[in-house]
Amino acid sequence: MSIQVMRTPREVEVQITASCNLRCRYCSFFDHPDPEYRDLPKEEWLRFFDELGGLGVMKVILTGGEPFIRDDLPLLIDGIVRNRMRFSILSNGALIRDETAGYLAATGRCDVVQVSVDGSGPPTHDVFRGAGSFEGAVRGLRTLMRHGVPVTARVTVHRGNVGDLPATVRLLLKDLGLPSIGVNAAGTLGSCQRNGDQVLMTPSQRQEAMETLLRLADSYPGRIQASAGPLADGKIWRHMEEARRGGDAPFPNGGRLTGCGCPSSKIAVRSDGVVVPCTQLPHLEAGRINRDSLGGLWSESPVLEGLRARVSVPLRDFPYCESCSYVDYCTGNCPAMAFAELGRVDHPSPDACLRRFLAGGGAVP
Amino acid sequence: MPDIPVRNPIAVLREEFDDWAVLFNPDTADAFGINPTGVVIWKEIDGRRTLTDIASAAADRFSEVPDTITEDVAAFLGKLAEKGFIGQGVGP
Repeated sequence: MSIQVMRTPREVEVQITASCNLRCRYCSFFDHPDPEYRDLPKEEWLRFFDELGGLGVMKVILTGGEPFIRDDLPLLIDGIVRNRMRFSILSNGALIRDETAGYLAATGRCDVVQVSVDGSGPPTHDVFRGAGSFEGAVRGLRTLMRHGVPVTARVTVHRGNVGDLPATVRLLLKDLGLPSIGVNAAGTLGSCQRNGDQVLMTPSQRQEAMETLLRLADSYPGRIQASAGPLADGKIWRHMEEARRGGDAPFPNGGRLTGCGCPSSKIAVRSDGVVVPCTQLPHLEAGRINRDSLGGLWSESPVLEGLRARVSVPLRDFPYCESCSYVDYCTGNCPAMAFAELGRVDHPSPDACLRRFLAGGGAVP
Repeated sequence: MPDIPVRNPIAVLREEFDDWAVLFNPDTADAFGINPTGVVIWKEIDGRRTLTDIASAAADRFSEVPDTITEDVAAFLGKLAEKGFIGQGVGP
């Protein structure tokens, strides 16, 4: 069993800066032991974007840190545009100004700017992001919309905002009129590893979040997306439970560690220029931009090969999974979450384990 | 369908897998999947070769070539033109 790997990455996520105006308590970027938290000069990024253009990369996702903190952001985006690529930006919104928003719109190449919004007001949004951050996020969204830049918002569900989810979704989809939003959950990555006791949902909150978000997804059809977190878990767990009850055939991707398809089409670069498979796995260093050929790393890096080989690992090899009645419908989920909890990527993620969730008193929604 | 097709200079050819490629227009985000024959034809479009030249070059690259190769290439070029990946050359 192997995954079909594209000849070159289709998308590249770039942590364009290690600086941020906020210090959110569940930030997945800060507090990893491996990265050097420093910024590369624009010349390094522009040279790298030239390489990406030569490889036929279609899209660059600019993250950080906070991308809008870089004064030279328009020059970096020029390098993306010049190399016939599109881009997206992940932001906290607070530093977005009219001038930059106008520039983004004028490029015609911006797929979306995603702004993090965790609550319907400062009490729930600012609790882990800091005073004034709600106002900054909403102001940023409004600025982008005024200039016609495509926007979305990302709601990170945590201990302090579960009860506020209906109002938050209403604010974003109804009051502000965003076309769609994404939802995930704070996980034990980065800064959250030391703040988990304050930040992570309790099991009962997780249940509540799942049920609430499934209801909201029905109320706003097609407008709430999730690839991880309570909404994604709720959807897949319902599907798994139906399959188990019906004695269905194994899912095509079930029974093995297939939970992450990213290494077949995507790659990432840390703010210090180190190439990694994913920004959530910053310790897996494959090489360095402008020293190593990205095309070469993509096809030959043992780090990437190792991650891609996960798909051949049967879940039944793991003692906890061996007797699980969901095993044929399970993918083992995210390797970064597995690493955060267990220190290894070639293992199912305990956080997304349905059997464990049920054993802890949870129920399939 | 243009007689001497010219590539849209913004278009990007991504050969993703052995048997599949994508033509991508970063300005519009349009993507068009093409097979290996389509890739050969795309690479023959240089603003000088005519439809007949391109069909002939494509025929040289494959062992089993249908009698309708020129019509097939014309139809493919027509699709590329419709999607904005090629245009018509406008003389010397």
